[in-house]
Amino acid sequence: MTKRLLFQLIAALAASISLAAGAEDVVAVVSSKSPIVALNSEQVADIFLGKTTRFPDGSAAIPIDQNEDSPDRDRFYAQYTGKSPAQVKAHWSKLIFTGRGQPPRQVANGAEAKRAVAQDPHAIAYIDNRLVDSSVRVLTGQ
Amino acid sequence: MHRKTIVAAALLAACGAAHADDEGPKIKLSGYGTIGEAHSDNRDADYLVDSFKPNGPGFTRAWNADTDSRLGLQASAELSPRLSAVLQVISQQRYDGSYRPAIEWANVKYSPIPDLSLRAGRIVLPVFMVTDSRRVGYANPWVRPPVELYSMVPVTSSDGVDASYRMTLSPTTSDTLEVTGGRSDAHFPPSQGLGTGTAEVRNIFAVANTLESGFATARLNYGQARLTIPEYRVFEDAFRQFGPAGAAIAERYGVDNKLVKFVGAGVSYDPGPWFAMAEWAQFDTHSIIGKKSAWYVSAGHRWNKFTPYATYAKLNGLSNTTDPGIPLAGLPPPIAAAAGQLNAVLNSQLSVLPSQSTVSVGVRWDLLRSAALKLQYDRVALGSGSHGVFGNIQPGFQPGSTVHLISATFDFVF
Repeated sequence: MTKRLLFQLIAALAASISLAAGAEDVVAVVSSKSPIVALNSEQVADIFLGKTTRFPDGSAAIPIDQNEDSPDRDRFYAQYTGKSPAQVKAHWSKLIFTGRGQPPRQVANGAEAKRAVAQDPHAIAYIDNRLVDSSVRVLTGQ
Repeated sequence: MHRKTIVAAALLAACGAAHADDEGPKIKLSGYGTIGEAHSDNRDADYLVDSFKPNGPGFTRAWNADTDSRLGLQASAELSPRLSAVLQVISQQRYDGSYRPAIEWANVKYSPIPDLSLRAGRIVLPVFMVTDSRRVGYANPWVRPPVELYSMVPVTSSDGVDASYRMTLSPTTSDTLEVTGGRSDAHFPPSQGLGTGTAEVRNIFAVANTLESGFATARLNYGQARLTIPEYRVFEDAFRQFGPAGAAIAERYGVDNKLVKFVGAGVSYDPGPWFAMAEWAQFDTHSIIGKKSAWYVSAGHRWNKFTPYATYAKLNGLSNTTDPGIPLAGLPPPIAAAAGQLNAVLNSQLSVLPSQSTVSVGVRWDLLRSAALKLQYDRVALGSGSHGVFGNIQPGFQPGSTVHLISATFDFVF
């Protein structure tokens, strides 16, 4: 009985560890043709929440979002903005219904986000880090 | 006429966008709505969430679905990277009790440079922190924005122009300055005891400054306008018949091209797992409508899909609630009687200056991705001798009493 409980505990712990590791799997990327190398998570968040339309160097920033069915999406917003899916939705409701802004263009998944960002030096996206290849550059913290 | 021209121009621009549609998907349709039900335990008066509501929970019906229910539809068009247009139509209970749709916003926006935007048409009147989204229940944590503060200025839109400029002060700090000029006509129902009328708001000038840094937001507001309520002229003219003393009263309390002033300040902090916000404002009409101030503090904690919150809000009437009126001494008896009646009318109007406080507790449940269910309890304590924000007052109503409200809303966006 005790043994089984212990096993369950370990299994639960292992699951929570892999979840925690999973939460760090989403990275912000730009095209490898983009001059941008560093952007902290607040700056990434500001671009995806429509608070700014430009990179720190003044060039236009075009965020590419993933649709609501993508598992990357919730992880990205939790990690970079600290907001739950409902909070992100509420945030955009405020901007949309005063004509102040429209949410970023959405693509179906990480592979499409990578394809879109690779083609456009102004684009910024988030993808699972296992998808990273030479067509994109992972933005470092600072 | 001028107003209609602006609205028509915005509509035309939106139609132009429909044509431009062949070149790409540039038109977006979206909407929001609330299905609500509110209950009051006081059957001798209606709880009025703003002065444009003809009724509310209480006297008219103990349960009232008209208080919070509404539907908004919006078309946004991107005509070019610098030019866009928005049209929003809202259906909610109006002053006449109907749900006839009204144009809430209809404007074109032009951004000559990235951080500057200019709008013309029917635009939001920037008054409070959540003015922009006060109708969008889904965007707010509460069943409705705190009534003490938000009922002070029920006008939500202005026909005219605004300019908004955003300055980036540091990578995480920005400041947005918004200047608005315009005019507005608002019909109010007889629920306030003043009869039906129109508030003609002219020469609106409003400035709002919003500083955002990380999770913190601070906002300062100033606004002024010229207010005329033609229905009051009958009182003003009546007083003017009584010589200089009457004329002075007509001048002091009349609502004829009166300068009204508004100042407000608010702060909010929202790191994600919880939020806290506070707001204060003062509104002076230099007329019989009086001078008021209000404030609230509100905080909530997000536990997964549930966000319990609590709010304390207070509304203070700052101007006099009585006036000696026309001196009756020395007047011939028939004239003194007429003057006495006028004085009584004046004092009954002054006495409705609201003062009240409310403790609210509630919970928001994000049960679907685009919909939330909210349940809220309000304990409204009326100031001594005051009707608070209540209207349709019946003889059995006790000024200064305590009223309990329960509200439930289902808010959605699409």
